[in-house]
Amino acid sequence: MHEVSVMQNLLEIVMATADREDAETIDVIHLRIGEMTGINFESLEFAFEILSKGTKAEGGRLEYDRVALKGRCSGCSSEFHPVDLVFRCPECGAGNVDIIAGREMEVDYILLDEEGS
Amino acid sequence: MHQINVGEDLRERNREIAAENREMLRRHGVFSLNIMSAPGAGKTSLLVKSIPLLKDKYRIGVIEGDLQTTRDAERVGALGIEVYQIQTGGVCHLDAAMVHSALHQIDLDSMDILLIENVGNLVCPAEFDLGVDARVMLLSITEGDDKPKKYPLMFSESRLLILNKVDLIEMVDFDIAKARREASDINPHIEIIELSCRSGAGIEDWTGWIEKLYSEIGVE
Repeated sequence: MHEVSVMQNLLEIVMATADREDAETIDVIHLRIGEMTGINFESLEFAFEILSKGTKAEGGRLEYDRVALKGRCSGCSSEFHPVDLVFRCPECGAGNVDIIAGREMEVDYILLDEEGS
Repeated sequence: MHQINVGEDLRERNREIAAENREMLRRHGVFSLNIMSAPGAGKTSLLVKSIPLLKDKYRIGVIEGDLQTTRDAERVGALGIEVYQIQTGGVCHLDAAMVHSALHQIDLDSMDILLIENVGNLVCPAEFDLGVDARVMLLSITEGDDKPKKYPLMFSESRLLILNKVDLIEMVDFDIAKARREASDINPHIEIIELSCRSGAGIEDWTGWIEKLYSEIGVE
């Protein structure tokens, strides 16, 4: 259940943002979660419900987009989706592949003060 | 209503603390490894078997991550080295902050190599950089050869994969060639050592790997 510690970080980030914006409520928290992350969204929602109680985010909604895995060959620079988790370049066969997408676990945007404005 | 773009990574705080740990370990000249595996794969046995081969040459320290008990720390402490126990209180992984407070409790000037035994878990520990020089993953062959594809992050983040319990190969349906191939698909740079903590076969490959990396990294 590392979703709890991830959620604590998440709430710190969004609370600081809401305070900076003088917002009363945080209504939507939109995340980007990469395909290759060890995070379970349902567990995250559960942690959110519990940890957001009594905060500006209580009753808010957690949403996310899944970000597809993408690699870039450091040899020939071609970009590809590693099929079946094979991190070898399909163009040149090299094994020097950087993961350029799919490891995200971030707060993309938040919606504040939806009521009454 | 208004939308605020945030774009902040949820692991950012952990990364910052991991960077502090890395700097702190560097400053004290300590080489460090984060050892990860599922429960029962043999992390503690690996330490118990290999520390005696290293401790005459290097000053070894150990941080034991455990959910509740001090059992692992007692087993390793019996070797006569400094052991610091982190009880995570149910948290399924070590994070950089837990290790950071441990680093303040132990005498870093009295050690050359710090071995950190993570909590037994194949998912969460992979997400948390602790600020060490390298991550090592232990997979015992009794767990099955499908693990690389099932828990890819662990294999992706590790520099070394240790296949443990190879003395049991006749008893289990574990295809070593397949596990090697699939681990290398995920991480073409991963190094792989086969050993048995029980029989002692291959333990010197592991201690040799530590010594090689220790001298390559050039800890002062």
